[in-house]
Amino acid sequence: MSKEVKPESTLIDMTSVTEAVGAETQSVDASRRNFFKHSIAGAFGAAAMMNMMPAGIRSMAYAAGSDAPEITEVKIGFIPLTDCAPIVVAAEMGFDKKYGIKITPSKEASWAGVRDKVVNGELHAAHVLYGLMYGVQMGIGGQQKDMAVLMALNHNGQGITLSTQLKDKGVKDGKTLKRVMANENRDFTFAQTFPTGTHAMWLNYWLAANGIDPVKDVKNIVVPPPQMVANMRIGNMDGYCVGEPWNARAIYDKVGYTVATSQDIWADHPEKVLGTTADFVAKNPNTARAMMMAILEASKYIDATANRAKVAELISGKSYVNAPKDVILGRFLGDYDNGNGKKWKDPNYMKFYDDGKVPFPYISDGMWFLTQHKRWGMLKSDPDYLGIAKKVNQVELYKQAASQLGVSVPKSEMRSSKLMDGIVWDGSNPAAYASAFKIKA
Amino acid sequence: MLKVMIVDNNRDRTKSLKQSLLDTGYEVIAHLKDTVNLEGACCELQPDVVIIDTDSPSRDTLENLCVMSMHHPRPVVMFTHDGDKEKIKTATQAGVCAYVVGTIPSERLTPVIDAAVARFEEFKHLRAELAMAKTQLDERKIIERAKGLLMKQRNLDEEEAYSLLRSMAMKKNMKLADLSNQLIEAASMLIV
Repeated sequence: MSKEVKPESTLIDMTSVTEAVGAETQSVDASRRNFFKHSIAGAFGAAAMMNMMPAGIRSMAYAAGSDAPEITEVKIGFIPLTDCAPIVVAAEMGFDKKYGIKITPSKEASWAGVRDKVVNGELHAAHVLYGLMYGVQMGIGGQQKDMAVLMALNHNGQGITLSTQLKDKGVKDGKTLKRVMANENRDFTFAQTFPTGTHAMWLNYWLAANGIDPVKDVKNIVVPPPQMVANMRIGNMDGYCVGEPWNARAIYDKVGYTVATSQDIWADHPEKVLGTTADFVAKNPNTARAMMMAILEASKYIDATANRAKVAELISGKSYVNAPKDVILGRFLGDYDNGNGKKWKDPNYMKFYDDGKVPFPYISDGMWFLTQHKRWGMLKSDPDYLGIAKKVNQVELYKQAASQLGVSVPKSEMRSSKLMDGIVWDGSNPAAYASAFKIKA
Repeated sequence: MLKVMIVDNNRDRTKSLKQSLLDTGYEVIAHLKDTVNLEGACCELQPDVVIIDTDSPSRDTLENLCVMSMHHPRPVVMFTHDGDKEKIKTATQAGVCAYVVGTIPSERLTPVIDAAVARFEEFKHLRAELAMAKTQLDERKIIERAKGLLMKQRNLDEEEAYSLLRSMAMKKNMKLADLSNQLIEAASMLIV
């Protein structure tokens, strides 16, 4: 195949590759994007294409020299949740091979385990909570280690479940919950999945936006995601925040109902990321890029509605999420039923690609988790929000991977969102944002 | 005296670890099976060290205490803070994870970790042996069945059936058990 490469096509490669290195990656025009879609992503895979080029040209492509993956077999950890799909699909459907690597998904039992194994190199990367990455970066509750967010894996698709007992008492939203809590003289217990993680932040944000102080007014515990439903059944807690399918499962098992989805709190919020250590990226930039390309392609595949049933089937297996396919599929397609008489088609259901908006590691998303860690007292003082997020989120590496696949890259590294309480977060003035909340630690 | 709490759903392993810690002069204040009331037990019993399987889902519950205890007088931190790297590596490979409360000098902590590592490794070894014995037993059963099939179909005695099976396996360069498996599957299709 390599003999058939015509000089013209090599020329096109080179211009695009040079662009990939330059700062202005946004302006890849449509025709070239199509060329990439069809030749690189489609026929042979970027790694194979790059290998056809003489070594001298290749070394121009990336400052590191050859683009050949430094490590070709990568072990990527995941926790049994619907949003682990990109890792599973990249490995099971062979997207990894197109980029010269082999991904072995590794099912993990706890987020602490994921963190330790990524930090000590037992796992090369992982499907991991956005907030956890920043928790480790800041040394919250454990050893400090410089981390790297390669790309985001999904937006939306988490939720807050309350017990059936609260439903019977007429709790249908945050306001009614506050009222019931005021009337009952007892501790209310809420569970989430990891102290610095995303679910702790969604739960805290939702409670606080409803006038309930998550530090003083409730008892906060951590329960592993697959054990949430069982713990609620035996009455260990009043509510929990977790990723799907474990909210849908509570309805299916008739032990609870969904009082809010995470997209109700923040439409298109950041959630899981592909995370590794800064050391790994420094030593293996090409492997990191290959992983990103394989997973980007998987994400695009999953986002096509026509493929979702097949993906749900694939991840429902025992070695992955281990839950009935039907429990996963409904919300995976945006078909929501809150278990309390309301059914709707959610436009902000779990997204993996959304024309390149989901995977982009927005700097403002990373900073947001730092603002919440500060808000809830896990950070004693304001960190260098912008500096840290720019160090952790690998925007340049991401742009290289995205441009090779013709994935569109947002113009700005910051994005603006209005959360459920009407407060706007756009990455500007993080210290003021973190301290302005009425309810905080 | 250090107060040690063990969180493990493997009863035999817990029992032997507990004994070995008691023998070395440590106080084992509790052994819990899972997350149910792990947090309550930590607050109530105030262990100095918590020993837990690295791959236990309950670890995240302990992590919550680590972070939340920044506001409380009882910090729980991972022992990887200080302590030597080799030791930590051996411990994680054995599947041992320890959460330590406050600052405990490593000479007091080391025997606890060592005992846990020894017990965990012993159990890993036993489990591997058991798994191997089980596979061997399964393989033998399969070969017996295949042999039986050949005896019936081709009217052979046991020795003849076995040598036929063996020569086929050698010719195909397959394991005896794998070939037997194929034979049984093929036969079941033909018979049905």
